[in-house]
Amino acid sequence: MAPAEEAGGEFPVGMKVLVVDDDPTCLAVLKRMLLGCRYDATTCSQATRALTMLRENRRGFDVIISDVHMPDMDGFRLLELVGLEMDLPVIMMSADSRTDIVMKGIKHGACDYLIKPVRMEELKNIWQHVLRKKFNENKEHEHSGSLDDTDRTRPTNNDNEYASSVNDGADGSWKSQKKKRDKDEDDGELESGDPSTSKKPRVVWSVELHQQFVNAVNHLGIDKAVPKKILELMNVPGLTRENVASHLQKFRLYLKRIAQHHAGIANPFCPPGSSPNIGSLGGLDLQALAASGQIPPQTLAALQDELLGRPTNSLLLPGRDQTALRLSAVKGNKPHGEREIAFGQPIYKCQSNAYAAFPQSSPTVGGTFSAWSNKLGMADSTGTLGSMSNSQNSNIVLHELQQQPDAMLSGNLHSLDVKPSGIVMPSQSLNTFSASEGLSPNQNPLMLPSQSSGLLAAMPPSMKHEPVLATSQPSSSLLGGIDLVNQASTSQPLISTHGGNLPGLVNRNSNVLPSQGISTFQTENNPYLVSQNSVGVGSKQPHGVLKTENSDPLSRNYGYIGGGAPLMDSGLLSSQSKNTQFGLLQNQDDLTGSWSPLQNIDSYGNTIGLSHPGSSFQSSNVPLGKFPDQGRGKNHGFVGKGSCIPSRFAVDEIESPTNNLSHSIGSSGDIMSPDVFGFSGHM
Amino acid sequence: MEYSNLRRQTIFMKKNLFDQGFLDEQFNQLEELQDESSPNFVEEVVDLFFKDSSRLLTNIEQAIDKYPQDFYRLDSLVHQFKGSGSSIGALRVKNECSVFKAHCNDRSLEGCRRSFQKIKREHATLKQKLESYFQLLRQVGPREHAVSSRK
Repeated sequence: MAPAEEAGGEFPVGMKVLVVDDDPTCLAVLKRMLLGCRYDATTCSQATRALTMLRENRRGFDVIISDVHMPDMDGFRLLELVGLEMDLPVIMMSADSRTDIVMKGIKHGACDYLIKPVRMEELKNIWQHVLRKKFNENKEHEHSGSLDDTDRTRPTNNDNEYASSVNDGADGSWKSQKKKRDKDEDDGELESGDPSTSKKPRVVWSVELHQQFVNAVNHLGIDKAVPKKILELMNVPGLTRENVASHLQKFRLYLKRIAQHHAGIANPFCPPGSSPNIGSLGGLDLQALAASGQIPPQTLAALQDELLGRPTNSLLLPGRDQTALRLSAVKGNKPHGEREIAFGQPIYKCQSNAYAAFPQSSPTVGGTFSAWSNKLGMADSTGTLGSMSNSQNSNIVLHELQQQPDAMLSGNLHSLDVKPSGIVMPSQSLNTFSASEGLSPNQNPLMLPSQSSGLLAAMPPSMKHEPVLATSQPSSSLLGGIDLVNQASTSQPLISTHGGNLPGLVNRNSNVLPSQGISTFQTENNPYLVSQNSVGVGSKQPHGVLKTENSDPLSRNYGYIGGGAPLMDSGLLSSQSKNTQFGLLQNQDDLTGSWSPLQNIDSYGNTIGLSHPGSSFQSSNVPLGKFPDQGRGKNHGFVGKGSCIPSRFAVDEIESPTNNLSHSIGSSGDIMSPDVFGFSGHM
Repeated sequence: MEYSNLRRQTIFMKKNLFDQGFLDEQFNQLEELQDESSPNFVEEVVDLFFKDSSRLLTNIEQAIDKYPQDFYRLDSLVHQFKGSGSSIGALRVKNECSVFKAHCNDRSLEGCRRSFQKIKREHATLKQKLESYFQLLRQVGPREHAVSSRK
């Protein structure tokens, strides 16, 4: 056995297992078996309740075992959500042993797949998964940028997005890593888990952190983004290569999901070439972006690959989003240069105040946006986002996000292009973002407003900086929140909504406030909040709030979440989504958030392309609402920057306009925690 | 001794259940889990199964009547039932569920109906046999379970 991590007890004795299954007989048997293995077993017959339990107590469990077929939530979705939000190992189980189902489980990130009836011998070994994960995370920590030679010399596995290689670390090195990790725990944005536990602290991917990550990825190009380089670019003390590697892995999953979702909204497994939409969408944006110099060709290619080549994951987008996505997808095919937002409806419909989400009225914002916002649950309130205070907004946004996580994310994300700069621009360009908005795409990275309707750029009302997300801020809220938004109802990860925008596109500034407690992404600078209104956006908008200002194109806030303001605490995020939404919900907000007409606002509301130097839209924390249930559902919410700890990928980070359109990477569908990639605070 | 006779009987009964295919290895696993801390574990789980399975069977029956063409639904319901049964080692029941699922796949309503009747019969038979078995076991005494359960 590996050296005991926990204080006391020899691992894996006492390992905390949560079993989720609607079959009481099976639950009883499993519980008894687990007790026989000397684990600490908790059973739950409802997935939704299990999620609540997990959210309330992230460190309360070491591993989850979940049935595939459950009445209240698809097991895969739960899987994604847990992966995104809590980064816990999840083991699937089912009486169904068909290869394709098993494969689906693996794709969704299951650590293992057991066939019922489960035997005791199989359960005896599940501790490996816990340990392996810890090891990997430890390694990530170790690398906080520094320098851990041994880590660096590790096999490239670490660089590959798979953390599985970590196991090669000897116990000793593991221990030393652990120590190092402990030391680095407080560094930077890494939030170490409970320092008292021997568990390795998890990196909390805050909106900001995620944004930085997305920025780095965009900068490098999605296909060239290796953890080491990303780490260097990010330059975050205390962050290790492993952290980045595992985050990258998740991120890619998200992107895939989004792509898949986007491409095959209706087909969970659409073959790579099968969705022309995606290609076109992705291509559209990408090309446009590329053309505009926003994204390097390689990224474009990578994105396209991602879009097209991705294996079909279950659609991330929740059903709702599908429509939106479709719309966006359809629209996304517009010729290059069309700024129209794919979504027909203004995404902003943020709900009420908080975001003032893009008001329905702002068709200009880009259809996608609205679609997003609509989905996101943004109310039609055309309320202005702007004045909401961050905190308010964030809350609202979060709330909003929750409601419609799907909407936002799904549609836009997809179209978001991953711009190197990290701005994820939805493929659909926002209609409204005409340059007239005044947003000056400061940065290239921001996706051009034209291109995508990256709604996401939602500029937080408070963007003081500039309504337009385009701020060059590197805020990184990744709108990746792809997942964020979704998920409201679908099990699809939010990410899928993004569709086009691929990975890494995180709205930088998407201050997407995931409804789920996504911390407001507001980033101070909303780099890109493409706020449509961003330009004029009131900037007062609280950062955190994903405000979408509908009414005022300029002032609209793009649903950015988080911008600077203390983002929603993850609690918010998580609480919100009942539905497995991921924290990406924020995305919704973001998306709806301001886009600058110029910018393409990615679906998450991150304004893409508008780099507005001052735009405050950054979603600092854009914890994106949760995202598709894919649950991810790896859906990922994209996490906006912000104080909230973004759930992993779940939140769309609103990246600075330049960078990325963060797509809310919501893990499957649920945007739950603000974690960017679902690392909700839990290390 | 009376006791050993009883014990022998339980062993014999159990062997029969296995030989006739009513139970499979999973049942042994359950018995292995039984110990002093949970001396009636197997019986408890079996009771749980039969309670829950009655409900499931009713659902399936209703579904066959109300949504006869909804094979997806039927398949899903029977899948649940199958998983549940497999947890206690109900082999025949499980096998019949597989047959049912195959009929669903073929979209044969008649096949499903026939199969469902068989499932119900197997279920009832197993219930009856296990009840006798546990009754006997109770006479033998709890401590014996752990011992006698291992063939």
